Amino acid sequence: MTAYVVRRLLFVVLVLVAVSMLVFGITALLPANVAYLILGPFAPPEQVRALELKLGLTDPIWQQYLRWASGFLTGDLGESTLMNRPIGPLLAEAIGRSLMLTGASFVLIAVIGVGLGIVAALRHGRPLDHGVSVGTYLGIAVPEFFWAIVVIMVFAAWLGWLPASGYESPSAGLWIWAQHLIAPTITLVFGHLAHVSRLTRSSMIEVLQSPYVTAARAKGLPERVIVLHHALRNALLPTITVLALDFGRLMGGIVVVETIFAYPGLGRLIVFSIQNRDLPTLQASILVVAAIYALANLMADLLYARFNPKIRFGRNVG
Amino acid sequence: MLQIDDLTVRYRTPGGVLEALSSISISAEKGRTLALVGESGSGKSTVALAAMGLLPQEAEIASGKIVFDGRDIGAMSFEERRQLRGSRLGLVFQDPFSVLNPSLPIGEQVGEGLVHHRGFSKAQAFERAVELLNEVGIVNPQAVAKAYPHELSGGMRQRALIAGALAPEPDLLILDEPTTALDVTIEAQILDLLEQLRTSRGLTMLFISHNLGVVRRIADEVAVLYAGQIVEHGSTTEVLHHPVHPYSKGLLAAIPRIGLKQHRLAAIPGRLPDLRKPPSGCRFITRCPFATPSSDAPQTLRQVGERKVRCANAEPLRDTPWPRPEQVAEPIDLSARNQKPIVSVTDLTKTFRLGGGWRFDGWRPRKVETLLTPVNAISLDIRQGEVLGLVGESGSGKTTLGRTILRLIDPDAGTIRIGSETISDKPQRELEAMRRTAQIVFQNPDSSLNPRKTIGELLARPIERFGLVPKAEIPARVRALLDLVRLPAHYADRYAHQMSGGEKQRVGIARALATEPKFIVCDEPVSALDVSVQAAIVNLLADLRDRLGVAYLFISHDISVVAHLADRIAVMNRGELVEIGDADTVMNNPQHPYTIKLLSAVPRVDAAMQART
Repeated sequence: MTAYVVRRLLFVVLVLVAVSMLVFGITALLPANVAYLILGPFAPPEQVRALELKLGLTDPIWQQYLRWASGFLTGDLGESTLMNRPIGPLLAEAIGRSLMLTGASFVLIAVIGVGLGIVAALRHGRPLDHGVSVGTYLGIAVPEFFWAIVVIMVFAAWLGWLPASGYESPSAGLWIWAQHLIAPTITLVFGHLAHVSRLTRSSMIEVLQSPYVTAARAKGLPERVIVLHHALRNALLPTITVLALDFGRLMGGIVVVETIFAYPGLGRLIVFSIQNRDLPTLQASILVVAAIYALANLMADLLYARFNPKIRFGRNVG
Repeated sequence: MLQIDDLTVRYRTPGGVLEALSSISISAEKGRTLALVGESGSGKSTVALAAMGLLPQEAEIASGKIVFDGRDIGAMSFEERRQLRGSRLGLVFQDPFSVLNPSLPIGEQVGEGLVHHRGFSKAQAFERAVELLNEVGIVNPQAVAKAYPHELSGGMRQRALIAGALAPEPDLLILDEPTTALDVTIEAQILDLLEQLRTSRGLTMLFISHNLGVVRRIADEVAVLYAGQIVEHGSTTEVLHHPVHPYSKGLLAAIPRIGLKQHRLAAIPGRLPDLRKPPSGCRFITRCPFATPSSDAPQTLRQVGERKVRCANAEPLRDTPWPRPEQVAEPIDLSARNQKPIVSVTDLTKTFRLGGGWRFDGWRPRKVETLLTPVNAISLDIRQGEVLGLVGESGSGKTTLGRTILRLIDPDAGTIRIGSETISDKPQRELEAMRRTAQIVFQNPDSSLNPRKTIGELLARPIERFGLVPKAEIPARVRALLDLVRLPAHYADRYAHQMSGGEKQRVGIARALATEPKFIVCDEPVSALDVSVQAAIVNLLADLRDRLGVAYLFISHDISVVAHLADRIAVMNRGELVEIGDADTVMNNPQHPYTIKLLSAVPRVDAAMQART
């Protein structure tokens, strides 16, 4: 198992190196470099040239990459060209807020999605099953910004229970903090339930018909034990993989949702840096998103191995 | 202990209501073993599921009742039935490979009945599971209890299943084909184990099987099931040694017997009636050589001597044997067979690398390789028109050898000559001529026939590919091939799923014959078929050999079939050829200890009844 974890971790590192090269390469291909962006379109060429030299933009691209990448490793992410602040703390703050949002959404997606999947599988072919299907499909079929608007209309405008947008830190009071999280979370969860619940449903239906479930029934085990202990354990395997992919999709989802709810997280930082051509911030943000994505997949692989003894290596009794 | 009275079970299917069981009545007395015998579609597994109260949703008990220890199971609540299952009624399933939960340790699965029925704690149940595993003859039960199913062999899994069913000490054990998926040596061990448990615990058993040899070893009483009805029911000796119902006669006649080499096996023609509209009269009428006009009337199960038989003509038929098949073609001149070999294999070796790759030894990466050599320095010859039988247990390398000879798998060392051509060192693209001379028939006709092509297209393809006849003559050639395997010409327009298993295997054989080969590897060609169908296919293969002079490498785990068909027999064990020789010599005077062990494990129908205690 240790060997397996080490190997997976090496893969994650490789992926991150590849992504960093891509991110750096693409932004380096853009016609306007950082010096132009800082000085604006009307700056005299000598001044641009001087800044380029100062920032090292005339060096060969691989030297620039190495400088950027080693800065990253030592925790120096460079400076935001727009806000003239170090990117590190800026990004850390945004990540923290986004993780609150995606973390809460992710847990709810997993719990509600798997739960709905099980219920639909147990009632398979009956009205409840169809209801779950239609509901979750509706969530995924209509874009997130639409649900965001619906949520704002219902909870903020009509009922007045929740603030329409913004963010408050937990230090302002837990309830106030939570209030600002609820609306974007609902939006994200609704848009992502279908994958998890559909997949859990279909693999659960399949597993419930498998010989080992019949064998468990033949042993006279209670239904609850059969469903939760015998069947779910096997039915969850494909769901785990999809959950990891969904975590990646959530990272995309926050771009839209944070923008609509004016929630100052990673998604909004990305949009903001794109709009304002803040290249260093953009590069750093994207690398962070890639890292989160890779780690989510790593987690999925490890969980998969945890639940699927065939993947665990090295033992042979027979 | 268990009494099933007048049980009728119907299934709702897309094609209409199917009556799987019609008025079945059986009873298993305490400490006795009742065997239910039947082929696929007879409804024997439905009996097991009905007795356990585990019928699927689309099934419905139309009439009858199941009484266990004086209580009507049908009248119980769901919860009462659940309490009964596992604790007093145990069920062992057919396929040990799919009935163990892949993600739970063996010990937990063996002991969980104790947790739910006997109030054990998980730790106590695990401890008891280890004891039980030991009791069913598993070495190192501690380690096995912690292992997962994929880490165990088939025999160990079946033992674990039996241990799990026995854990709460049930009074009745229902065994649904418990040894079908296992090798004969393992099968013999499991049967011994069951017999021992029956005597030591006074266990009652309902033993469901299609294998009459196994039934002979284990059962006190036999009920023969055909198309959802019991056709004959009596003591094991009576039914198996002097069958009265025509179906029982046919079933017994169809079994190839070791040491009794007839030229052809008796087969039962035709197929099961459609149980969506079962015939009102005798259900065996269309396949019965003794049918009379009166067979059209409904038949009842009635007492004939000591036993019950469902046949109006039982008395006159009592001593009439099932008709012996006629020989269809003159066997080819035997002396011609002693020519030079058509296939000649020398020192053939194939090694697979399993799970190769880099592992971490602490922090240091290290290359690890697990090697498996299923074909280890094997040399053999097959002469023209000869049948070389290849036997061995699963994993012995039989299939790999067959495929390596045909270069479907590339060998690592050794030479293969087919005809006058050495093919072991040629690249695949130069094997054209060999592909025409040497063909293969696969075990499973369901997966070896393309489901989207008609039988005509399937058979025309190799003819076209090798340009054997002008295009215009292909349909005629396809018809000739179908005729050769005794399928009607209109089958050319059918798809594989429209045919029965035996018919599909005939197509598989016709496909192999399409290129007019001199040599065919038959890889377990009858293992997926019922006994009565198996006999017909074995006969067909024998006829084709006699008519066309084709040589076979006939691979099978069923020694009786091989003994029946083969001229010479080769025995494989763990990749090595341990014995090869004349069929009669190998069967009657085996030399290698492994061959002796294998032969003694084969369950035989005609052996004298074992002394039962």
